Amino acid sequence: MNVLTRYLRDLAVDAVRGWNQFWFTPADPATLAMIRLLAGLLLLYTHAIWTLGLDDFFGEHSWANRAAMQTLAPRGLDDQPTTSYAWSYFWWIDSLPAPWSHRMLWAAHVAALAVFTLLALGLFSRTAAVLAYLAAVSYVHRLRATEFGLDQVNCMLAMYLWIGPCGGAWSLDRLWAGWRHGRRTGQTLPAVQPSVAANLAVRLLQLHLCVVYLFSALGKLQGVSWWSGQALWYVLANPEFHAFPVEWLARWPVLTALLTQIVLYWELFFCVLIWSPRLRPLVLAMAVPLHLGIAFGLRILPFGLGMLIACLAFVSPELIRRVLKR
Amino acid sequence: MQQTADKNRGHNATVPRGWGLPVRAVVSLLIVAHLLAVLAGPLSMPPSVLGNTLGRLFRPYVEAAYLDHAYKFFGPDPGPSHHLRYEMEMPDGSLREGTVPDAGEHWPRLWYHRHFVLCEFLNALPHADDDLNDPRLFARRLPFPGVQRDFARSYARHLLDQYGGKRVTLYLVEHVIPSTEYVRQGVKLDDPRLDSETRLGPFSRPRAWRPLDAAAPAAPPERSP
Repeated sequence: MNVLTRYLRDLAVDAVRGWNQFWFTPADPATLAMIRLLAGLLLLYTHAIWTLGLDDFFGEHSWANRAAMQTLAPRGLDDQPTTSYAWSYFWWIDSLPAPWSHRMLWAAHVAALAVFTLLALGLFSRTAAVLAYLAAVSYVHRLRATEFGLDQVNCMLAMYLWIGPCGGAWSLDRLWAGWRHGRRTGQTLPAVQPSVAANLAVRLLQLHLCVVYLFSALGKLQGVSWWSGQALWYVLANPEFHAFPVEWLARWPVLTALLTQIVLYWELFFCVLIWSPRLRPLVLAMAVPLHLGIAFGLRILPFGLGMLIACLAFVSPELIRRVLKR
Repeated sequence: MQQTADKNRGHNATVPRGWGLPVRAVVSLLIVAHLLAVLAGPLSMPPSVLGNTLGRLFRPYVEAAYLDHAYKFFGPDPGPSHHLRYEMEMPDGSLREGTVPDAGEHWPRLWYHRHFVLCEFLNALPHADDDLNDPRLFARRLPFPGVQRDFARSYARHLLDQYGGKRVTLYLVEHVIPSTEYVRQGVKLDDPRLDSETRLGPFSRPRAWRPLDAAAPAAPPERSP
């Protein structure tokens, strides 16, 4: 066997072993459960907001009504609308005759809020996780005109929870199981079993988050202001965002440029550096001021918190348990 | 942390256990397909050969699972901000003026932000003067010019329905962010010279709607005569 053949064989063997270890090693579901709890609260808050004006956004005379939304349908080469797969049960509700459409709209909204509550509480966790994802996607497909990064984070978080035992810790499911076990055996519930599905769910979220940061950085590099170092000024000086006076920053262009490029390069190299055991704590530590800055400095609190919740996927279950036991 | 994590995940499992080979093989294929679908969105905005190929292949899944985004937060360049101004002719001949979003009316902050995004969305829509060959239109994933007019009409009808007006004129107000040089020279961030308006046209109450005398003029008090 020549050197090349041996190298390729070893490479293939290592790749298969690495793939199996990465995806199919059982893991403590604590990380997934913590993401479930926090993502459930985030989903509940961001969807409860629609209660303030459900008809304004879903009703017959909503901001983006059915006729307008239909103009967004994808079109084929013959310029005719083609099948859209962006489904939403709100379209079915919208097609019902009055007053049923209005009643069903409220019933669906209350049901969705109940699902998000169950998810946060960890009651019927996996079923709630499936329903929460379907509900979140249904809202955002109907509300394309009000969609922003928060919806993408919401759906990304909800998408992976159901894959693993997301109610494996800090959940009513766990409390209920403990109570039943205690009644039956008189003993406390044994520690939760490591699970391949828990690992799979967290790994998928980790890789999805790497894609998000990488393309966020590559998208920024398609413009000029992130490269030139002025982008952060244009974000912070936008009256729709800034939470505190920022005029003083205009006298410190080097500071703005430095912060701009730190954000850019942190996003760009996140997908590489996060896998280094030595660097992971530093990379995650930098995520905190960045996303809290978005949350409080730009007043987009749920989006900033949502990204931090997603970053939890890189925190070990052991560390989460240790911190919460303090 | 990673070492701890991997040790914790490992559970003495240098050789992974739990799922048998057939299950792992099927799941592996699903993982690869899903990750390609995750990549399809950002790779095809703006268009690329690879992104478009993946996009065509996975389109039903990408759209249904809500994976069709580019993740370009504040990119490529943070631009000006936009809001709507409207002038509404009421049945009694009075004029109602307002803005969307309105910090006094739209609270909490997320509720305000959703209304702000409505205006940004309207601005991002292609309009009748757009060049069909402009690649940015495809980058926005939107089909053809003129869509902005359809959405402006929808927004106008919402306002007419909400306040019981006869006719409304919408203006898309763009607020340019001054450069640091201008601010150092004394330009304020809220300087009115930084604002410009585009008239989106007057919109009348559709005839098919209930007559105005039966329409209950809705909620908040007028902001100005």
